[in-house]
Amino acid sequence: MIEFVNVSKVYKTGTHALNNFNLRVDRGEFVFVVGPSGAGKSTFIKLLMREEKPTSGAIYVNGQDIVKLKRRKVPYFRRTLGVVFQDFRLIPNMNVYDNVAFALRVTNVPGREIRNRVPYILGLVGLAGKARSLPEHLSGGEQQRVALARALVNNPSLLIADEPTGNIDPDLSFEIVDLLSEINKCGTTIVMVTHEHDLVREFNHRVITIDEGMVVSDDRGNGGYYLE
Amino acid sequence: MKIGSFGYLIREGAKNIYVNRLMSFASIGTLVACMLLIGSSILLSMNVNQIVGYVEQQNELTAFLEDDVTDEEAVEIEEQLREIENILDPVYLNKEAVLKEQMSSMGDAADLFEGLEGEENPFPPTFRMHVRDLSLLTSTIMKVSDIDGVVKVIGPDSVAEIVTSLKKAISQCGMIIVGVLLAVSLVIIANTIKITVFNRRKEINIMKYVGATDIFIRLPFFVEGFLLGLISAMIAFGLLWVGYDYILRMISQNPSDWIQQTYASMIQFKDVAVELLCWFAGGGVGVGVFGSMVFVSKYLKV
Repeated sequence: MIEFVNVSKVYKTGTHALNNFNLRVDRGEFVFVVGPSGAGKSTFIKLLMREEKPTSGAIYVNGQDIVKLKRRKVPYFRRTLGVVFQDFRLIPNMNVYDNVAFALRVTNVPGREIRNRVPYILGLVGLAGKARSLPEHLSGGEQQRVALARALVNNPSLLIADEPTGNIDPDLSFEIVDLLSEINKCGTTIVMVTHEHDLVREFNHRVITIDEGMVVSDDRGNGGYYLE
Repeated sequence: MKIGSFGYLIREGAKNIYVNRLMSFASIGTLVACMLLIGSSILLSMNVNQIVGYVEQQNELTAFLEDDVTDEEAVEIEEQLREIENILDPVYLNKEAVLKEQMSSMGDAADLFEGLEGEENPFPPTFRMHVRDLSLLTSTIMKVSDIDGVVKVIGPDSVAEIVTSLKKAISQCGMIIVGVLLAVSLVIIANTIKITVFNRRKEINIMKYVGATDIFIRLPFFVEGFLLGLISAMIAFGLLWVGYDYILRMISQNPSDWIQQTYASMIQFKDVAVELLCWFAGGGVGVGVFGSMVFVSKYLKV
């Protein structure tokens, strides 16, 4: 599903973000990516989304080398991904329904299909009753669920979550990860970057620890996770 | 791209003007202000030119002929005069006509000229004419002097000089003012569009993440820029029309003779309306579209 082979990334400023980074995530896995600030987690996500290109190495997603992807092909690659961010990134002047439908509209999905899929996905994340609300009238947890609905509405095979619980209450964080686990059970591969050790301990998933641009531990999830 | 989504993008562009109405208002306001300033300076300099042109046409050139030139010979001279391009409507006055004219201009003192008819008439036969372009006065006078039978040519040399340099100054000033306004407008408009796009960088960013193609992101901005430019052009055109007509009406109601004459030579708005509208619409749409496209590109590189 995802494979990083000897990936290094040096930014123009001279920062070595990733050093000979190797990682393999199989289809249907749920992976936590943890590590201190500046470890290279953000760069890992950016490379995975093809927002940045590595200085050297190859990155395969669904068997395709995304480093060699032409610029005009990038949008089509991104349609196979779902992405959730810490700051939700909802469009403030669109209601919940339109925020989710937006992801379909910008990818040429016919109107009939949009009208079918958006209510279904909003029901899935438990927001069926809030379709007409604006993001500012929702709690942090609800906003993140809207973002999640938007990420899922395209039926992606891979969901990338960059600190999805960073801006919400601990109780609600648990709910979000629970929801992600449910989605994972349906076959979607999930890569979630997080700082929250409690959450990681609570859910028994694979944990990859990054430090100084390298994978320093890879715990296959038998409850023995500990990092410090 | 499918027809359906094309329609969606057009609607989206139009909707964005309303959704981002504060910024749309700012963009339209800026564009309208710039167009009004440029439009009024163009109209002003066109009118001043027109008025100077009117003054120019009032100037007469007088050519005195040899005393014994007959009416038949005068016809030949007139033909030669008409061949000079800068000369307008030459009018021939024979000796008697000049005398009559002089007498009538003397009013009560006309009897001073009595007894000067026929052989005693001291006035030479004369041609009076206007010139098209006062700046060519000197060379025109020389050409007229070269014609056989012409003794002396008198033209308003000093007036010509003043009018010519005035005309030159006006057109140069006009060009500089319009140029400066255009440059300032472009800077202000560029900034307004930049802010508009900057405010929506988040939206552009999200579009990129969910897999929208570049053209899909650009088209609504294109439509928006186009519509904002067009709306601004219409508003500016309308305001300029109303304002200009109002000023013309005020001038026409002034009883002063001089102002009435000036009014007669002023440009009517409807004479320049089509041209002005084309320029406004072209400029507005061009600036709107070009500006949006340039600044959207900045946020497309994700």
